Amino acid sequence: MSQLSATDSAGFPSLTATKRGFPFTGDQLLALAARGAGAVVLLMLLSLLTVLIHATWPAIKTYGTQFVTTSEWRPNELQVPKRNDAGKIVFDEDGEMVQTTLPAKFGALAVIWGTAVSSVIALVIAVPLALGAALFLIRIAPGKLRGPVSFLIEFLAAVPSIAYGIWGLFVLVPLLQKYIEPSILSIASHVPVVGERFHHFLGGDTGLSGRDMLCGGLLLGIMILPIITAVSRDVLAAVPVQQIEGTLALGATWWQSARQMLGYAKAGLFGAVMLGLARAAGETMAVTMVIGNNNQIALSPLKPAQTMSSLLANEFGNPESDLHRSALIAVALILLVMSLSFNVVARYLVIGRGPRRAS
Amino acid sequence: MTTATLPDLAPSPMPAPAALPQADAAPRPALIEAKNVSVFYGAFEAIKSVSLDVSTNEVVAFIGPSGCGKSTFLRSINRINDMVRGCRVTGELKIGGQDIYASGVDLVTLRRQVGMVFQKPNPFPTSIYANVTYGPRLQGVKKRQELDAIVEDCLRKAAIWDEAKDRLHTSALGMSGGQQQRLCIARALATRPSVLLMDEPCSALDPIATAKIEDLIVGLKKLVTIIVVTHNMHQAARVSDRTAFFYLGKLIEYDETSTMFTNPNQKQTEEYITGRFG
Ligand SMILES: Nc1ncnc2c1ncn2[C@@H]1O[C@H](COP(=O)(O)OP(=O)(O)O)[C@@H](O)[C@H]1O
Ligand SMILES: [Mg+2]
Repeated sequence: MSQLSATDSAGFPSLTATKRGFPFTGDQLLALAARGAGAVVLLMLLSLLTVLIHATWPAIKTYGTQFVTTSEWRPNELQVPKRNDAGKIVFDEDGEMVQTTLPAKFGALAVIWGTAVSSVIALVIAVPLALGAALFLIRIAPGKLRGPVSFLIEFLAAVPSIAYGIWGLFVLVPLLQKYIEPSILSIASHVPVVGERFHHFLGGDTGLSGRDMLCGGLLLGIMILPIITAVSRDVLAAVPVQQIEGTLALGATWWQSARQMLGYAKAGLFGAVMLGLARAAGETMAVTMVIGNNNQIALSPLKPAQTMSSLLANEFGNPESDLHRSALIAVALILLVMSLSFNVVARYLVIGRGPRRAS
Repeated sequence: MTTATLPDLAPSPMPAPAALPQADAAPRPALIEAKNVSVFYGAFEAIKSVSLDVSTNEVVAFIGPSGCGKSTFLRSINRINDMVRGCRVTGELKIGGQDIYASGVDLVTLRRQVGMVFQKPNPFPTSIYANVTYGPRLQGVKKRQELDAIVEDCLRKAAIWDEAKDRLHTSALGMSGGQQQRLCIARALATRPSVLLMDEPCSALDPIATAKIEDLIVGLKKLVTIIVVTHNMHQAARVSDRTAFFYLGKLIEYDETSTMFTNPNQKQTEEYITGRFG
């Protein structure tokens, strides 16, 4: 063999590379393919960003920062009665209202608000339940129960969102409309002194549809519950048993020890929550079905709202103009950047710091 | 210090159940009394009918080859093994005259009285100060001054005050392994235990850190009764008054350390301490 003959006086084989195949070895081909695959993924993300930014340009050029600081979203021109400086409707000599035309206008604040508020409602509902369930699975559930329950949770995380949407529409919406929201209103109106105003503020005068911010947030909370539970369970399972025994050996009660455990795992748990948040913010179909799709900033959770993704689902199919289309894509870009940053933060907290935690 | 200082292990708000053995007038030399204690993991009997006592303010070493059940027995003394699924204890294990496996025993009170130091240092990922005050805080001590005093006192007792006093509020994880282990000892002392269980406290440490912990054990015996599990025969000889040799879940021999290492009764003991197996 040529390699064996290329030895120095001590009989040690030469370490310089010898060509083993032509033109590539299997190793080299595989390395090339892996690099190629990696590059394709990166290129996809880059081209996605490029296309979105390019398509967004008309909207950015027209509205600048106003795009995210105003909430009027009007795809078509609108004829409205003209008002004078005092806010009074102006009439002409014949007693007819003078009409004026409002131009099309795009401000995304209402949908950003919708996404933010519905996500926060979802987190408020899902996080305590998920942490409780994860603690239960790790610290209480008997071995026999752990497997099946874990399987169910993972199963729920994999249910397509349209299924949650249908459930929301046929179960949650009627439930809210007929029972829960009327009760909320009646409680609100019984608050002393401000009862009537409170009732009005919540939207009691306009009638309840059940499809509103509360319903959207609730459904989102139910949808992100499984993923937050599953990730929190894994994070808690990674807490070293010595830490838990350490607390118990110092006389901690079950609850005190669980609290220390949550504290130990807080970075990972925060990551789990961010992952849930990313899901909630990006969720489309189910929310579109139950949130009422009204482009407004309403402080009352009993009024219909709109999220970024439900807006896209509703309007992207047939935009009224190029500017409308561009504005919708700008909304998509905001959503993409938001979800991406939630995911990056979550991944860094859950996975990136995993090994350090274990040491 | 006598066994009478050990508080009632029953939950404080409840009166002690009549079934709980009460201290009687007779003087009781032993603080810990085990009678025919067996410990099972499922069907596997890891400790087989072990009987032994430990007196107040003595240091007892548990020796024996890996897997012989030293940790298992130690961990049944503060009932931390209750955490392990399928673990079951039979027989009678009394501390200060009270059966710790009787119904109605409050684990929180028991574990404050019977502190534990683990094989691998396990400081919490918080400050040194927060580590030491963890136990007292659980007991409701809130006053800053009181906590400060406890921290200094316990760190001094654990011979780590000089190294820690200027960094009390920095992370405990920044300390070396030996310092972390002494911090864990200080943390255990902060609940004012009567008994300190140490499970191979030096096995993860270098020789210098080991020597410091050994000195500490000898010094602490004035304050607490100590049971220390060790793999190291020299360590057992250096720190303990009595030594118990376990083999395959059985207590083979239990005697004065000096007797045990010079003139063991059992052939297995002799073979083990002369290094012929283990
Ligand atoms: N959690 C557990 N479940 C099942 N078996 C265990 C468990 N812990 C220890 N054992 C078994 O009990 C025996 C004694 O273990 P251990 O007390 O850790 O020994 P030592 O501390 O003397 O090395 C060993 O055979 C070990 O495999
Ligand atoms: Mg052991």
